[in-house]
Amino acid sequence: MNHDGPPRSAAAVGRGPVEIHLPADPELVSVMRLAASGMAATARCTVDEIDDIKLAVSEVLLVLIEHAASTSLTLRLELRDSVLSIEGCAETSSADLDHPDLALSQTVLAEVSATNSIDLVDSELRISATVRLDRTHAS
Amino acid sequence: MSDQPVGPLQVDLDPSGVLVVHGDIDVAGGPTLEASVRSRENGSPVVLDLGDVDFIDSSGLRTLLAVSQRASARGTKVCLRNVGSAVQRILDITGTAGQFELESSAG
Repeated sequence: MNHDGPPRSAAAVGRGPVEIHLPADPELVSVMRLAASGMAATARCTVDEIDDIKLAVSEVLLVLIEHAASTSLTLRLELRDSVLSIEGCAETSSADLDHPDLALSQTVLAEVSATNSIDLVDSELRISATVRLDRTHAS
Repeated sequence: MSDQPVGPLQVDLDPSGVLVVHGDIDVAGGPTLEASVRSRENGSPVVLDLGDVDFIDSSGLRTLLAVSQRASARGTKVCLRNVGSAVQRILDITGTAGQFELESSAG
């Protein structure tokens, strides 16, 4: 990985928000993982942090694609105060917040993010996660 | 960072009957893996070589767990070979490593 970029303090300055509207296409999830990873890399985050971001983005989009059953969704990324915020939403008429598959996603999100939430607001499924980029890693 | 290009998941069958998985096991790749495994479920133990898998999320794990459950119903096991850090991590996070037989290298 190139370490000649801007100083790590760029995360404190902030970047974004970047809002992406996309079809609920599973093949685009890897593209969004790359986009979020690239955005985080401008803050010179660690490989472990990049791994957490990829998992968080994947789980956010997975929940929306599988449970909102909408044809389109919105992903919002913002880097501020050494935190990457990942927010997604999609219209839904059928989301079941007690679905057992959601528990698995929440288990993963709880491990990789500092905060996370999944809410049904009116007819919109909303999911968010924040990944800290200033952690000290044991290895 | 991996040199593996981003693209659809691929599953190859090696001469010994091992399914070699290349790519990300996520909401896009999971169904491809599921179809490949189903075509090979004939009573023999399922062996998946995951040495070329750099990413897996909970949907990919669900695919592996479903394969494991079907194998158990047939009285066989699923062996995960060459498990890398990404796969090991999600097994650890979810406490599901015990559902599989883990093998570090080809025997």
